[in-house]
Amino acid sequence: MILITGPLYSGKRHVAMQLLRCREEELEARCACDVHALAAECEDLEALADELAQFDAVTIAELGSGIIPLDPAERAARERAGRLACLLAERADTVVRVFCGIPKLLKGDTR
Amino acid sequence: MTILVSGGAASGKSAYAEKLLCALSEDSPRIYLATMKPGGAEAADRIARHRALRAGRGFRTLECFCGLASAKVPPDSAVLLEDIGNLCANEMFDPAGSGPDGAADAVVDGVKELQKRCRLLVIVTNEVGAGGANWESGTLRYLRLLGEVNQRLAALSDRVCEVVCGLAEYYRGEEAQK
Repeated sequence: MILITGPLYSGKRHVAMQLLRCREEELEARCACDVHALAAECEDLEALADELAQFDAVTIAELGSGIIPLDPAERAARERAGRLACLLAERADTVVRVFCGIPKLLKGDTR
Repeated sequence: MTILVSGGAASGKSAYAEKLLCALSEDSPRIYLATMKPGGAEAADRIARHRALRAGRGFRTLECFCGLASAKVPPDSAVLLEDIGNLCANEMFDPAGSGPDGAADAVVDGVKELQKRCRLLVIVTNEVGAGGANWESGTLRYLRLLGEVNQRLAALSDRVCEVVCGLAEYYRGEEAQK
């Protein structure tokens, strides 16, 4: 599995299509996109990470570089999203961070 | 040559971009293309701080809040465009701007025009997309606009870097190349 992270709207889906050599229509079947949204309601992050690791690629936004949210639920959701990203990175063969549409390799290789 | 310099608030990206431009433009006229609309004490403070940073480096300041494509930049100049976050906000929200649907093209086409005219273009932009996803729709629209513009500008740039505590991490190209 290739994990693709980066800020919001940084071009993660586009990079996923490049790395998987697939088109937008095929992406949904092969790549779990924006999984930070799944973390908010999740009770078992390890199980979620195991499940997501079955995809060819997973994209997750970096959410943790702003102010700590005042709202407890938002705070917990942000925390879970960050933890999920770490669990996915452990399971991933390859980890890429996208910045302004440009991928940078953090783990493994993209061949 | 075009260099895109990004980073978070107060990351040192302006100072880095200015030094970089000066190091690469010994013979060209230096233009500072300012995008922030003056208004209020905070903007005045920020403008004063940036003016002091540039003092003695021979920059001529031009102002451009919207409609970058018609900025009157002298040929063969070295231009420091600061910054894309402001320009996007002006195009999207200011009555003189091109509105939510035209903002991205207005900024990107403006940069393409600048590239035709100047010898060196250093663009300062902002990375604001890593601080959460739970925003109201107007903020999300702005984040999407800036994210899209940053990707398109990176594609037009020879070098792309992110400044972290004053140090540049390169995603394309490198600092040392001339």
